[in-house]
Amino acid sequence: MEIKDERTNGIDVLRLTGRLDASSANDLKEKVAALVHEKRLNLVIDMADIDFIDSSGLGSLVSSLRSVNKQGGDIKISSLKDSVRSIFELTRLHRIFEIFDDTQGAVKGF
Amino acid sequence: MPRKIKLIIDSDLENIPLVGMTINKLCSLTSFSDQETFQIELCAVEAVTNSIKHAYGYNSVYQVEIVFALSSKELTLDVYDTGTPLEKGLLEKRSMETLGHNTADPDNIPDGGRGLAIIQTIMDSVVYKSEKGKNCFTMKKKLA
Repeated sequence: MEIKDERTNGIDVLRLTGRLDASSANDLKEKVAALVHEKRLNLVIDMADIDFIDSSGLGSLVSSLRSVNKQGGDIKISSLKDSVRSIFELTRLHRIFEIFDDTQGAVKGF
Repeated sequence: MPRKIKLIIDSDLENIPLVGMTINKLCSLTSFSDQETFQIELCAVEAVTNSIKHAYGYNSVYQVEIVFALSSKELTLDVYDTGTPLEKGLLEKRSMETLGHNTADPDNIPDGGRGLAIIQTIMDSVVYKSEKGKNCFTMKKKLA
């Protein structure tokens, strides 16, 4: 999985590409931990190019959300493919994350 | 007679995408919808991840076998490992209802433990057996 970070209006937009699964979940956790260390606490995770997610990937998102919340920040999710969105719904994590149709909306949501 | 193919991978998390993408392509031989195919791929990935993480403790020197068997009525996925078996009764205990997902508070949501619940929710039948040092996770999904 590839992670690209763009900063706009004080918000970090992380654009993920590929598969967010057990083989890549730690990459996201480490990226978010590095941002939290720099006090960059408001994040949008753009998942338009994520083709697959599993429970390890979901766990990395929950863990990341908890770590930014503890410091007063937040994570918003954007641009989920239908198949990926269905797994958020299956696991009820759509109740935990604010999910936006596009990244622009997610950025404005802060 | 079901048509069968066996995949064998080293127990390395880096091999998980290989399993997922192969199962996804194999499902294109069936009448499963794209959504069902995605879900079956997910279940295969969850079972293999469970073997690597929990049965083998992330040690990549072992192997995980995946058997994809297709009959006219159903798909059967068997995932074998020779590591530490699942705790007895854990499979039955895991469901979305038992994971605390009814709260909107992230502090009360676990990072892990969803894999077995996902499998239980998606598949029509799930059986886990451990005999003579070999563990087998059998998942079945009926064809429409």
